[in-house]
Amino acid sequence: MNSHGHGDPQGGHATPTAHADHGGIGKYLAVFVALCVLSSASFFTVSDTWRGLFKNDPAFGHHVAWAFMMAVSCGKALLVVLFFMHVKYEASWKYVLTIPASIMAIFLGLALVPDVGLRRRTYSPQRDFFAAQPISHQADEAHLPVD
Amino acid sequence: MAVAEHAHAEHSHHVKLVYQPALPLPNGKLFMWLFLSTEIMFFAALIGVYIVIRFGAPAWPLPHHVHLVEVIGFVNTFVLICSSVTIVLCLEAAKANKPGMAKLFIVLTLLLGSIFLGIKGFEYKSKFDHGIYPRQPRSAIHERANIYFASAVRVRLREGKDKVDAILAETPADEEGQHQQENLRRVIAIANDPQAKPLQLHEMAQFILPTHDLPGEHEIGLNDFYHGLNLPMVIPGGNMWASTYFVLTGFHAIHVLVGLIVFALMVPMTLGLRRTVFIENIGLYWHFVDLVWIFLFPLLYLF
Repeated sequence: MNSHGHGDPQGGHATPTAHADHGGIGKYLAVFVALCVLSSASFFTVSDTWRGLFKNDPAFGHHVAWAFMMAVSCGKALLVVLFFMHVKYEASWKYVLTIPASIMAIFLGLALVPDVGLRRRTYSPQRDFFAAQPISHQADEAHLPVD
Repeated sequence: MAVAEHAHAEHSHHVKLVYQPALPLPNGKLFMWLFLSTEIMFFAALIGVYIVIRFGAPAWPLPHHVHLVEVIGFVNTFVLICSSVTIVLCLEAAKANKPGMAKLFIVLTLLLGSIFLGIKGFEYKSKFDHGIYPRQPRSAIHERANIYFASAVRVRLREGKDKVDAILAETPADEEGQHQQENLRRVIAIANDPQAKPLQLHEMAQFILPTHDLPGEHEIGLNDFYHGLNLPMVIPGGNMWASTYFVLTGFHAIHVLVGLIVFALMVPMTLGLRRTVFIENIGLYWHFVDLVWIFLFPLLYLF
């Protein structure tokens, strides 16, 4: 059957180990350092320095932080997939497996928005009465000052 | 003669034919990738649900209200990245036919994965100790400081009567102790007052677990000051937080555990050239587990 081994010379191209030139410990360590730096960059968003940057508009600071962290996470994911999982060096079969799965994943998330993400729009008054409320609202109800 | 020669030529031509596999990769690796693409959708569903729940939620707790420490999550991220490097170095060692070296790296990976799970277990314990977990008939987390909350506090005060009496009997060592003891007296008074106003119920919730503080600085409430008191608390969005946190980190931890079992089975093996495809496959799985954590860390700890 096609249990062709590693380093199988037949075919002459695109065998599993035809990409022997990739990798190298230096490259892995470079990716490792990049991953550590990017993780620290994400962590930086909860620091006082970051809060100081968006002192005037903390809500905007949160939104920037979310976008920044997701961008950093996508960058890290890309590094892991391309170098550690060797996808950069694979033949084009990689697209067949990864692209449909990724598209399905994105649509899965979007499909949840109407029923789950916007669920509060269809709450009955009774349901809403027992729902969670931000602390500031509760304080308003109780006429408490909130800083 | 000519015919025979022709047949011979045809025969040798036939021998030159080479088998071309449908895909230029070993079967095991193909199946690992197929499995991983189902895993992408599995975790995409979980993470997608978390995101829409999180951003559709009217209220969400701050990390320290639910005893979530960002630094611990960061350390765990680092540990998992290190384990990804060690497994990739294990594969390189096996490709270079150095089984001793490969074994060293697999043991290191096993160790790092165990550290990750150990830290995760420590984190879970700190949640459980503070009563932050889903349970029947309801959790200790209340969404609002209403009469149901007051009655839950009353029930708990009655259950822990010995503990409460002991706290009230002792002489506080410092000003903070005195302050907390005073707060406990007021909580008892409010919980037992059938005429308590919303303002007082809200005040009671703040004595048990202060949530008015700004991010970065937080006051200590009764539940933190007196261990084992475990009064019901008001954490808006806390129940949904607990459900999503335990589901996401729980499924991730199961994946880590499966990886660790395979690593443990690999330790007695000779990890030479013959095992490279196998090591590559388990490596792919382990990198995927790392990949999921790359998204879980900011989403759960920093958002």
